[in-house]
Amino acid sequence: MSRRGWLALGVTALAALAAVPLVVRRDDVLNFLFLVLLSVALAQSWNVVAGYAGQINLGHAAFFGLGALVTRTLWIAEWPVLAGAALGALAATAFALLVGAVAFRLRGAYFAIGTLALGEILRITVGNVLPEVSTLPTATIGAYRLADRYYFALALAAVAVGVVAALERSRAGLGMQAVREDEEAAEASGVGTLRLKLLALVLSTALAGLAGGLFAYYHISYYPAHPFGPHWTFDALLITFIGGVGTVHGPVLGAIFYVFLKEYLAIRWVDFHLLIFGALFITIVLLLPGGLVEAAARLRTLARRAC
Amino acid sequence: MLEVEAVEAAYGPFLALSGVTLRVGPGEIVALLGPNGAGKTTLIRCVTGLLVPRAGRIRFGGAEIVGLLPHAIVERGLAVVPEGRRLFGGMTVEENLDLGAFTPHARAGLGRGRERIYEIFPILRERRRQLAGTLSGGQQQMVAIGRALMAAPRLLILDEPSLGLAPRIVETILGVIGEINRGGVSILLVEQNVQAALGLAHRAYILEAGRVAGEGSGPALLQDPHVRRAYLGPLASLPGSRPPLP
Amino acid sequence: MILVQQLVLGLLVGGLYGLAAAGLSLVFGVLKVLNVAHGELIMLGGYGAFWLWVLLGFDPLLALPLVVAGALAFGVLLYWGLFAFVVRAHEETRIKNSLLIGFGLALATHALAVRLWTADERSITTTYAGAVLSLGPIAIPLVRLASLVLAFALIGALHLLLQRWRWGRAIRATAEDWEAAALTGIDVRRAYLLAFAIGTGLAGAAGTLVSVGYSISPSIGLEWTLKALIVVVLAGLGSMLGTFVGGLVLGLAEAASAFAFGGPYREVVGLVIFLAVLVARPRGLFAR
Repeated sequence: MSRRGWLALGVTALAALAAVPLVVRRDDVLNFLFLVLLSVALAQSWNVVAGYAGQINLGHAAFFGLGALVTRTLWIAEWPVLAGAALGALAATAFALLVGAVAFRLRGAYFAIGTLALGEILRITVGNVLPEVSTLPTATIGAYRLADRYYFALALAAVAVGVVAALERSRAGLGMQAVREDEEAAEASGVGTLRLKLLALVLSTALAGLAGGLFAYYHISYYPAHPFGPHWTFDALLITFIGGVGTVHGPVLGAIFYVFLKEYLAIRWVDFHLLIFGALFITIVLLLPGGLVEAAARLRTLARRAC
Repeated sequence: MLEVEAVEAAYGPFLALSGVTLRVGPGEIVALLGPNGAGKTTLIRCVTGLLVPRAGRIRFGGAEIVGLLPHAIVERGLAVVPEGRRLFGGMTVEENLDLGAFTPHARAGLGRGRERIYEIFPILRERRRQLAGTLSGGQQQMVAIGRALMAAPRLLILDEPSLGLAPRIVETILGVIGEINRGGVSILLVEQNVQAALGLAHRAYILEAGRVAGEGSGPALLQDPHVRRAYLGPLASLPGSRPPLP
Repeated sequence: MILVQQLVLGLLVGGLYGLAAAGLSLVFGVLKVLNVAHGELIMLGGYGAFWLWVLLGFDPLLALPLVVAGALAFGVLLYWGLFAFVVRAHEETRIKNSLLIGFGLALATHALAVRLWTADERSITTTYAGAVLSLGPIAIPLVRLASLVLAFALIGALHLLLQRWRWGRAIRATAEDWEAAALTGIDVRRAYLLAFAIGTGLAGAAGTLVSVGYSISPSIGLEWTLKALIVVVLAGLGSMLGTFVGGLVLGLAEAASAFAFGGPYREVVGLVIFLAVLVARPRGLFAR
C-alpha cells in the first residue's frame, strides 16, 4: 500500500473509532476497544526502542508504572489528569535516561539487565512503601465516564502509531534501524549511535508513561505496585512480536489479536492464558520472528507463486 | 590426504571463495599464499568445519568431511593451529596442551605426546604451570603448535604461524614445522612470509580473490616473475639487484 | 548491635545469592545465553524440596541431592527443547533471543506454578528449623548458617569440577573461545549442554536452600534472577569463588542499606550497585 493509502486508512479508522461512543451504547464493547487501544499504545512504545533501535527493554513496566504512579497521585491531589499524565511521562523519561545514559555506553545485554532490574526494584519498593489499594474518591467515581477514558486511549494510540510511522521514514528512524542491524557498522559509518538510542528511549518511555497515566485514569482501584508488574512488559513484548516487531502496523494487529484471544482465554481457561501466551511467544521468537506481518507476507508470496 | 574440490563459500551475500580446488598429498608440505582477503582463512574455516561451504566437496583421507562438526574432523586426524594462536589465555600451558588431546583417539597418547612437545620446545616444560595468556608471542605460538600436535594429526594446518614474531623465532618455528613433517605429518601452511614458505614447501598454491591463481613447486614459484612482483616486493623482481645505498 | 545482627543475616543470605549467581554466570559465560528464567528454576527447585518434605517426609538435607539430580535432568530437557535452538544464532542475536525467551519462560513458569501450587508462600519447617546459635546478643539461625556452609561447599565443588574434570576444562575452554575449543576437538554442543545442566542443577540446589531457611512462592523467580544478575555484574565472569564473594557483598550491602534507610528500600541497593559498577568499569564486566 502507498503512503497515501496508509494515511487514508489511518484517518478513516480514527474517525470510525471516534464515532463509536456516539453510536454504541454497550460498555463491554467500549471496554474491549479501550483495552485494544491501551495495548496498541503500550506495544508501540516498546516497539520504538526494541523494534527500531534494537534495544531490548525488559523493564518496560517500570515506565508504565511510573506514569501511573505520578498521574494517580497528582490526579487525586486534584490536578487536571492530562497535566498529571504529562508529568508522569516526564518522570518515566527521567528514570529511563538515568539507566540509558549509563547502560547504553556499553553494548550487549547491559540495557536489558538494567531495565529488568529497574522494573523489579521499583515494583518491590513501591509495593513496600505503598501497600494500600489506591481507590478514587467517591465524588470522582460518581462522575466516572468510560467514554472519556476511551477518547484518551484513542488519542494516545493514534499518537503512538503516528510516532512510529514518522520514525519509519525519518533520518533518525533509519539511523536507529542501522544501529539495530549492526551497531559497530553504524558507529563506523558516522551514525551517532548513543544519541539515537537515547532518542528512541525518550520517545518510548514518554509513550509508556502516558499509557501508565491512562491506566491510572481508567482504573477505579488498584494496588500502586500493580502497573509495575512484569506482565505489563510481557504484554508489550508479546503484542509486538505477535504482530511484527519493527513495523508500524504489526503492533496494531497484534493488539487486536491479543486482546481478543486474551478475553476469550480468560473465559475458558482462567489462569492458563499466561502459560499459553508464554508458549506462543517463545514459538514466535524462535520460528516466526516477523510475527503476523511476516506470516502475511509469506502467504502472499506463496499465493503469487501459485497463480 | 586432503582434497578440496570446487569449493564455494560465502558470508551472507559476499562470496569469499569461488571454486577452489587443491590437494595435499601424504607427507607433503603445501604452502597456501595470497594477499589479505584472498580467502585463505575462509578456506581453512571450511576445511576445519567451522564454515559449511555453499558448494563443492572436501575429502580427508578419502572420506567426505563437509557437514561434519569441527571436533569430529579433529578426531579423524586433522588439526589446526589457528590464526592468532587462539590459546585459552586463562589456562596454564599444560592445560592448553592437554586439551589438545581431548578426542578419544588422541587421549590414549596424552602423556607421551606431552613429553614429546616438551622435547621439541623445552621452554614450555619450564613454563608449564604459567597461564598461557602471560607468555611471549613466540612461546604462545609454540603452545599453539604443541596443542595441535597433541591431537596426533595426520595433517596439520598452520594459519600464519610466523605472524608478529621476531625473525629468530620464525626460524625456530619453521624448523620445527619441517621436523614435524619428517615425522610423517602432512602440512598445509598458510603464510604471509612467502620467501620462507616457498623455501620450506614442496608445492604451493596462490589464492587471489577467492580462486586459485597459480600453483607449482616451491622453487619454481620462487622464480616466477608474477609471484616475485606481487609477493616479494619491487626489489626482488630484478634478479641480482641490491637495495640502494642510503 | 542491631546493625551487627542485620549484617550477619545479610551475610547468610548472601551465600545463597552467590549460589544463585553461580549457575547463571556459568550458563552465560559458556553459552553466551542470558537465561532470565534462572530465578524460576530456583523457584521450581524450592517446590521440589518442599513437596519431597510434605508428601514423602524427606528431610531437606536428603532432598538436596535428589532435587539437584532432578534439576540436572530438567536442565538437559530445557536445553534440548529450547536453548539448543538459541545457541545456533550468532552472538548478538543469541543474547537477544535468550533474553526474550527467558522472559517468556519466566512468565509462563510463574503462571504454571500459581496454577499448580497457588500463590501462597511456603517454607519447610523441620523440627530443628527454630534452632539458633547465640553469640552474646547476636542470634544466628542454624538452618541459615548450614545453608551458607552448603552453598560454599557446592561452589567449591563446582570450582574443582571446572579445574580438574576433563569436561570441566572443556567447559572453561568453550567459555574462553568456542571456536578454538572446537578446533582442539571439543564437542562444543556437549559442553553447552553440560554447562546448562550444571547451571540448572545449581539453581535446584539454591531453591532447596531457599525453601528451608527462607520461603518460596511462585513469584520469587524474578527477584532471584535479579539478585543473581546483580551479583554477576558485580563479580564478573570467570571465577566461581569470585561470584560467591560477590553474593556475600550484595547480602551485606542490602543489610547495611536496610539498616540505614529502612527495610522498604533494601532492594534499591541492587540497582545502585548495578549502575555504580557500570560507571566504575565502563569497559564492561562481561568483556574479558
